[in-house]
Amino acid sequence: MYRGLLRTARQCAFSLHQTGALPPKCDNAALPVFRLGRSVGIHPFNTSSTSYCENKENAPAPPQLKDKEDAQKDSASLAAPTDQAKVEMTAECEGTNLPDNVPPPPQAKDKEDAHKDSDSLATPTDQVKVEMAAECEGTNLPEQGETLLKTPLKTEEGNQQKTEERQPRVKTGKESLLDLLVAMKVDVTTSKKRSKGTKIPARHEPTVTPKPAAMESTHSMFQKATVEASIQSDAQPSVASLSPELVAAASAAAASLPDPSRAESELLQQLRQHEAEPEDHKRGEANNIGNIIADMKVGRPAPRQHARSSNTIHFDEDGRGYKKSLFERKRLGIFNPATDEESTDAAIAGPNLWDTEFANLLVRTANHMPRNGFEEMIQWTRDGRLWQYPIDNEIGLEEEAAVAFHEHIFLDRHLEEGFPRQGPVRHFMELVVAGLSRNHHLSVRQKTEHIDWYRTYFQEKEDVLKEAAAFLN
Amino acid sequence: MVSPSHNAPGLSKNMAASGRHAGHYINKNSRSLLNHLDKLLGQRGFALSSVLRQQTATLQNDSTEAIVIPRKKTWGKEAVLEALASTVNRDPTAYHYQFQDDPYLSPRTSAESKLYSMSQESGRAAAKYFVDMYPKYFTKDFAEPHIPCLMPASVALSLEEVSEEALKERIGLRKVGAAVEMYDQLVQAGTPISKQMTYDLLDLICFYGDREPAQEGEPEADQTEASAEELRRKRGRFHRASDTLRGVWRENNNAERLFRLLPEREARCYSAVIRGMVKHGAFAKAFDMYTDMLNNRLTADVDIFNALILAVPEMREAYTEKVDFITDLLNQMSQQKVQPNLQTFNNVLKVLRRCGALAKSISLQTLSEMKALGIAPSLASFNHLLAIFYKGGSAADYPTDILQELLSEIETTSFTCQDPEDVWFFSSAMKICLETKDMKLGYKVQSLVGVGDNWRLLGDSYQQGMFYYRFFSLLCLMEHVDVVLKWYHQLMPSLYYPNPQGMRDLLQALDTESRLELLPSIWKDVKTLGHDNKSDLVEELLSLMAREKHSPEVQESFADCALDIKAAFDVDRRKPSLEWSPLALGHVTTLLLRAGRIPQAWEMMQLFKSKNRIPSEALLEDFLSQCSGAPTTAVELVKLSAAFCLPATPQLAQRVLLEFDLTEDQRTTLSELESSWDHNE
Repeated sequence: MYRGLLRTARQCAFSLHQTGALPPKCDNAALPVFRLGRSVGIHPFNTSSTSYCENKENAPAPPQLKDKEDAQKDSASLAAPTDQAKVEMTAECEGTNLPDNVPPPPQAKDKEDAHKDSDSLATPTDQVKVEMAAECEGTNLPEQGETLLKTPLKTEEGNQQKTEERQPRVKTGKESLLDLLVAMKVDVTTSKKRSKGTKIPARHEPTVTPKPAAMESTHSMFQKATVEASIQSDAQPSVASLSPELVAAASAAAASLPDPSRAESELLQQLRQHEAEPEDHKRGEANNIGNIIADMKVGRPAPRQHARSSNTIHFDEDGRGYKKSLFERKRLGIFNPATDEESTDAAIAGPNLWDTEFANLLVRTANHMPRNGFEEMIQWTRDGRLWQYPIDNEIGLEEEAAVAFHEHIFLDRHLEEGFPRQGPVRHFMELVVAGLSRNHHLSVRQKTEHIDWYRTYFQEKEDVLKEAAAFLN
Repeated sequence: MVSPSHNAPGLSKNMAASGRHAGHYINKNSRSLLNHLDKLLGQRGFALSSVLRQQTATLQNDSTEAIVIPRKKTWGKEAVLEALASTVNRDPTAYHYQFQDDPYLSPRTSAESKLYSMSQESGRAAAKYFVDMYPKYFTKDFAEPHIPCLMPASVALSLEEVSEEALKERIGLRKVGAAVEMYDQLVQAGTPISKQMTYDLLDLICFYGDREPAQEGEPEADQTEASAEELRRKRGRFHRASDTLRGVWRENNNAERLFRLLPEREARCYSAVIRGMVKHGAFAKAFDMYTDMLNNRLTADVDIFNALILAVPEMREAYTEKVDFITDLLNQMSQQKVQPNLQTFNNVLKVLRRCGALAKSISLQTLSEMKALGIAPSLASFNHLLAIFYKGGSAADYPTDILQELLSEIETTSFTCQDPEDVWFFSSAMKICLETKDMKLGYKVQSLVGVGDNWRLLGDSYQQGMFYYRFFSLLCLMEHVDVVLKWYHQLMPSLYYPNPQGMRDLLQALDTESRLELLPSIWKDVKTLGHDNKSDLVEELLSLMAREKHSPEVQESFADCALDIKAAFDVDRRKPSLEWSPLALGHVTTLLLRAGRIPQAWEMMQLFKSKNRIPSEALLEDFLSQCSGAPTTAVELVKLSAAFCLPATPQLAQRVLLEFDLTEDQRTTLSELESSWDHNE
């Protein structure tokens, strides 16, 4: 869709060139035309700004003008008058002493390779921005019919008023208005900033520039103006949160439909998207939209590559020279490397059925056939079927290793309690203990159990033994 | 590594639970896990101690470089064996180790080797089955220390009462139906069930798609075969091959029911259900579930995304839509602060295989993304990459650059199996080498197999066979025949059993280099490999031998070979054997004639008659010129020719009349034959 629009935009911009080629007196006449081009430009960006920006980033230096024969001529003619305009504008700016320092454009270079260099394309942009800024400061311009599209060029207070005025008129597409406003606001930011002398920032860095403090007021205004859609727009990073009221409303609405649960989930999803959108506009894309719109003004021909899918990054540009290794090409740039705490989070969760089954599958997939006898022995060792190397004949006796030898040998202390101090029973038990102390088949526990058994036995039989007078004598 | 002190109880509980889950057949696995753990701990301990010592050492003498001699080095229990195993090289003349314990079981063909290895495996599985099924007969534990893996594992349900314990047991033994039943009973009785248990049950149902898993006692080899088969089919035709094998996700099955019953649904429950849905082919439902989950303000985990990415191609048709959808999912991942893992990217690459040419740049970007995130790609990633770049043999417009680059990157890397599809890499890489006829790359791939334990990733016998077949074909195409033969002898019995096509390639290589004198030895191999019943191969061999005349010695050996081949035809086999074709008969006869073996050649002529085949005229002429000293044979030959009603009979008769010293009787017979033929004309 936006290709068509861009084409119109390009035409408009081209007409701007032509008007720009007129004597500098006519630059008042040029402005409306320019504004027209701009008005055409804004709409597509509202609808498809995200993808457009991506395209913009990915696209290589676009073919600047369609007609290659005319390219040089055109660009030359483009460069010359704009320079003039520039000088004029600087003078004007000084008069109104608005932008502190206007960047002196590299004029000579422009003339040399205006048809190739994207930098040179940027210079006219700067000029126009200067122009814009001058306007912004309220050098009273003739009020044309389409004031709506001039609102972004006004100062912020004016902006507020205008929006409030326009609100009833564009009531039908509240959302589109919101988008429009956001985009406009964005434009103001960038153009202001540039008029302060910053060059076009490198487009590949999606750095979120901090908003000027002055913008805050506008923000709050927008929020008031569009209560419904911008409920969440005070920049909460977690996207997936919806206010409970909304959820309730959605489910109520869904209940009236044939498939309530499905409808509800779709509604909610839709709502979440709406929340996300204004945020997106507010955040990282601010610069990009500004860039694009700024570029549009000077009639930069629409990059034809946009017709292709956003994903065709040419391999050739991607380092076909193979100086780079396979892994050092451009990356998707979606994820950030994990910090340590995040990665450990996942590790803590224990293995469940899925994990064990996956591990099993891996084990089955790889070939584990031993290639020689030693490898087979390694397998057996892992299975626990083989003595481990280096050979240790105490393997499997871990329990016993904790027991010192004296506990095996000096068992007399177990006779202290429950046995008579002397007599045949004592004598018998001493023999038992002597025997046990030499028995290496029994563990200490078994030995004490053995002694305990005798203890209870003799205690039970105490009467009989006493009768026979064998207990103590 | 997690610090053991911090979450030891949780960990041990989980480990115990997993052990329960897996039953006996995870045994191997968890042990390897533990080993791994051991190793890590060991490494860490060692590193620490060495650092400490280094400090003390540097304190003692700052000036000289400190040599740290560890006071004691603890070796792993396999270290000695590993060291020994590394000294053993492959014996190219021997069969694989697994067949060595019984010389009778030396497999000479690929079919035999497969049969033997499978029967070995199934024998083990059968023994295991009996031990497990009848544990009461296997109570004696001789071994000390105790060897758990030799003892029967419990496979039958022992707890009958309705309790959580019983549910746990049913989940552990993977009795899906019984577990669900038990759960229902517990719920009806109002017994509280722990969250962990419920989740485990949900996992179980979702994993098996609410069906009973394959029988426990099933031999392991079968499953390997099945999975390999599955992979093969998947590869063959991408679409939905897995569905038919895995069954489908039924509407309102127990998993969904259980899920709805849950009082609070955590991300883990969603994860189980979504993975189950994707695994069993309910792709659209999986995405619905995902939306539902987001609406409930939960964030997904990495497994959910991995599953969803796999489902993308089923949801979208156009290539661009698929790619956009994947990018969207990945963006959602990063928005929800989910760190991707290797599987995520492998799945992305796998899906990109179905996105046409669009996938090329994206796949490279994906690879760079992996690099940037510090995730080392596995062989499966590279396999997908190759598949993206070399679509359907259209390698012409995209030469081997990618593979070359890739190989120079990973030349010395030793891989471990991290993805079930890792095993496809080598054979597909070699396929590309073969298609582009790039011998250098072929050698590189081959040497990569030799690095570390990479050979383990060659895959099952089928994939391995394909790999070596392609390598060998490439050799035959591109290399000097001596090199080919060197490789042939190196690979032949120990790693690779050439198929008939491979042998034919070898024959062609010999032909182009005119080293046909080697043919008899090749024939011997053909016989050993069991390809002596492939008529086209045998005929090609014969025609190569019979095509030109060689030196007498070579002719002699060819004649022997021809007799051997004749024997192969004659052998009374049970399986359908070769049929004599006129060409083959002719070739054998020619070979015998060239070696001057008239009697045997004459036998061959008789064979023509008995097999109802017709000899060519040239052959008869040849024969006649060979048997100059034997007029009887010559006359018989003319008779034979007359019996076949060959148009050349009169000329033959004429020639015999002129050239041979004949008796009167023979003359009359010949003239009769000649005149009768004329008469007939």
